[in-house]
Formats: sequence, structure tokens, C-alpha cells
Amino acid sequence: MIEVEHLTKRYGDVLAVKDVSFRVGEGEVVGFLGPNGAGKTTTLRILTAFLPATQGAVRVAGRDVLSRSVEVRAQLGYLPESVPLYPEMRVEEYLRFRAALKGVLRRDARARVLSALERCGCLDVRRRMIGKLSKGYRQRVGLADAIVHDPPILILDEPTSGLDPNQRIEVRRLIASLGENKTVLLSSHIIPEVEAVAERVIIIRRGEVVADGAPGQLLKGAGVGRRVRVELKGEAAAGALARLPGARSVERFELGEGWLRCEIEFSEPGDQRERVARAVLDAGAALRELCAPSSSLEDVFRSLTAADDEEPGGAR
Amino acid sequence: MRGIRTLLILTGREVESYFFAPLMYLVLAVFLVLNGLAFSYSLIDMQGNVDATVRSFLGGSILFWINILFVPPLLTMRLIAEERRSGTLEGLMTAPVTDVAVVVAKYLGALTFYVALWAPSIVYLLVLKSYGALPDGGILATSYAGILLLGALLLAIGVFASAVSPNQIVAAILGMVFNLLLFFAPLLSLQMPRGRLRLALEHVSILFHFQNSFAKGILDTGLVAVYLIGAAISLFLAVRALESRRWS
Repeated sequence: MIEVEHLTKRYGDVLAVKDVSFRVGEGEVVGFLGPNGAGKTTTLRILTAFLPATQGAVRVAGRDVLSRSVEVRAQLGYLPESVPLYPEMRVEEYLRFRAALKGVLRRDARARVLSALERCGCLDVRRRMIGKLSKGYRQRVGLADAIVHDPPILILDEPTSGLDPNQRIEVRRLIASLGENKTVLLSSHIIPEVEAVAERVIIIRRGEVVADGAPGQLLKGAGVGRRVRVELKGEAAAGALARLPGARSVERFELGEGWLRCEIEFSEPGDQRERVARAVLDAGAALRELCAPSSSLEDVFRSLTAADDEEPGGAR
Repeated sequence: MRGIRTLLILTGREVESYFFAPLMYLVLAVFLVLNGLAFSYSLIDMQGNVDATVRSFLGGSILFWINILFVPPLLTMRLIAEERRSGTLEGLMTAPVTDVAVVVAKYLGALTFYVALWAPSIVYLLVLKSYGALPDGGILATSYAGILLLGALLLAIGVFASAVSPNQIVAAILGMVFNLLLFFAPLLSLQMPRGRLRLALEHVSILFHFQNSFAKGILDTGLVAVYLIGAAISLFLAVRALESRRWS
């Protein structure tokens, strides 16, 4: 449903998106991950025909977003990152306007608007002025706007930002239920968020795709080493761990009374616990805990996007 | 068909938005006060001469030209600049609407409000009846046509100014600068010796157009075309500016 080929976007001298290619199939729910400023919003804005690409081709629902932009937009429900709404309008009135704009017929409009409001949990505020709503409600009104015309494709930019934990869970459920019969591409920098709803994730860093696959698959590849955590007593042993072949990094935490917790990351896969235990005991240290925490998507994300929390470029 | 429907929906929302904007009531109030003053001064100055009063009120007084030149940029300043600043442009432009429809709807909304501003002035003219005579109908009709054409042109320029400005203050100032240039540049001709250049400049002066044509009951089709083409060019440039979205 969404095909992106060699997409590049330049703002003046700044390269915001570099040669990005990916596909989202019909009915898929895909997470679009990356640190702030990695180019997520820019890419989504190009997909929704808001911004033109500098280079590359983007097709949505089989149509080119540039040459058949209005047709593409009719197939899309888009929630922009900033959730732009007209503050002087009332919630229901705003959605009526948006529904009409997106081609919902007058006789269907009322039912569609009410059902979108209900799904997003905004029925109780439908007569309120948008400008007077809390951030959480505004986010949900934006989501209602995205689904009001029942589009086959949803593009959601940070759909859960500004929500409290309960609302996040609700929105996550809503996205999961929408994903049953729609194609969904959602961006986020909160990993558990995406893991909960997406069948596949695309990780982008500095405008480039660095990983694309199911979360399980990314855990296997992607160069995330195995971790081993030990609790031991004795400085010498901690030093010995750092010298173990294949040990990429050792993080140390003082636990008091001479106990140390060390987390060793190995570059090679496979269970390393036995080697660690032997090294600790050979160094004559006391050992009281040894385990291999399973790595998560978060580790994949961290290892792929390390050392660039905020970057220039990307959307403001 | 679908395009027309979208245009109507967008225009309806634009017209409505004028009545939700407190600032527009201020503009409305100031406009009506200036227009009322223009009428009473004209009435007093012309000592009961009905046709002279009309000529002064519509096209002759400074207050008239202040309203013509400064009010349209105030009506159009927020149209695109404010949507861009607040981010609502993104929601609007990702709905299945064309850039042309958005610009034209905003323009039609502004034109509607402009007509609503001038409509009450027709009542003033009924006052003249108490002086025993109604003004010449033909002159009134062409004068109002002139006001409408000037509005059509200057509002389109204002929409363009709003499309290229980062915020509404800049849009208002830019629109006023355009309008003042349009008004005053040809008046340089008054300082020139008689000749071709002077004649050419007089030809493009909106002041002379009004006083020599619209206010005399003449509706020159060439002139009408010039105003409408000018408006169309401004709107076309506004669409281009909206398409570029360099300031998003």
C-alpha cells in the first residue's frame, strides 16, 4: 500500500532524509522508529503529499503522491505530530467540517463523526471548544479526524505523545483494533509503544533506514550482542571480565559492602554465562548472581541509534 | 462536481471564521467609523449638492482611500500565514483538496466579508433623499462596481502577501506596502512634464481610474479586465507560494 523508493529530502544544505526505501503491505501495522530529528516526520510529510521529495518515488495505494496527490490524500488518514486543530471550533463541528472536506456525504456525516468520536473516547467533549481541551483530548480529536472518513491507510505521527499512561493504553488498543482492517504506519520514539502494536518496525537514523523487520528478527540480527549480568565481590575479577575475549563493554554498578554488579556485552552471539563464571572464580572473587537478560527491541534501537539523541535537520 | 463541493465547504468555513475572529470586529468597527466620517464630511463640505457628495464619499475623500488601501490587508493577513504558523496548514493540505481550492476559498471568504463591510454604506445614501434628491443611479452602480473591483484586486494581493509571510503581522505590512506602491507610484506622474511616460503612469493609477471612470458612471470593460487579470495573477502567485512550502 505504501512504497517508498530511494527517497531523499534536502532542506537547503541539510540532508534530512537520505535514500530511504521501504514498503508497507496491505493490512500491515508498521512502526517507524528513530530518535528525535532522525527524519521521521519529514518522511511522513512526504508520504502524505504535504512536502515534495527532493528525489525518489513514493506511491501510496498504487498512486504517485506527487502527480495524483489529491487521490492519494483521499485514501489517507493522517495525524500530524503537532495535531493542528482550529481552536475556535467545537469538536463535533470541526469533525463535520473535516468529514465533508474528505468527501463524506452529508447524509453519512453525522453517523461517521459520532462513531469516530466514540472510538477515540471524545463523545463527552463533542460540544466543547477545541481551544479549551486538554492535550490528551486534543490528541484524541486529531485521531478521530484521521479516521472520520474511514480511510484504508492510516499514517500516525507520534500518536501517543502528550497522553498519560492510561490514555496511552487506550490509544494503543484503538490502533490495534484499527490495524485489523487498515494499513497503519505509526512513528514513535517510545519503543514499548511500537512493540505492542506493530508487526514490523523500520528504524531510521540520521535520515537513513538502519533496520527493517519483525521485532524478533531484528533481535537476532542487528548486531546486538548477548549480555551477561553478574554480581561479584572483588575488583580484580571485574578487570578480568573486561579482558575476556569478545567482551565489548562492561558496565559497573557499586552495590555496597564491596559487591559489584557488572553487565558485560559480548559481540558474538551464544550463551556466555559459563565463561563469565569461570573468569570470576579464576580471579578468586565471590559470585552471588549470574544471569543473561534477554535483549529487547530497546537494545536494538539503542545499539543502532546510539550517540545521537538530537540532531540538526528534520522537522521543527 | 466534487471540486465545486469542496470549494463551497472551504469557502463556508472561511466566511464563518471571520465572525469568530475578535480582531475582525475591530476592523469592522474602525471601517464603519471611518466610512461614517467620510460621509458626514462629504455632506458638510458639499453643502447639500447630492452628486458632489457622492463623488467625494466614493472615491474623493482621503478616508475613502484609507479604507480601500488598508482594510484589505487586514482582512487577508491571517489567511495563509496564520495557518502556517499554527501548523493547521498541514491538516488542511493533507486533506484531499487542491492548493487552488484552498487559495480561492480563502479569497472568496475575504471578498464576502469585504462586501459585508461596504453594504451598510448604501444606507447612508438614502439619507441624501432628505435633501430632496437621490443620487444618479448609474454613477452609484459604477462606483460600487469600482469598489468591488478594487477589493477584488487588493484582496488578491493580500492573499499573496499572506502566502509568502511567516506570520500575519508581516503579511499585513507587506500587503499595505504593495497597496501603497500601487497607489502612489503612478502619482509621481504629477511631478513630470507632459509626455508619454506621464500618460502611461496616469493610465495605471487606481486613483485616476476611480475618479475618471468609475465615479463618472463609466464602466470600461478594458479596465474591468485589467483588475480581474491583476487579481488572477496575484492568486496564481499565492498558489505557487503555497505549493513551495519552504517555510513549513
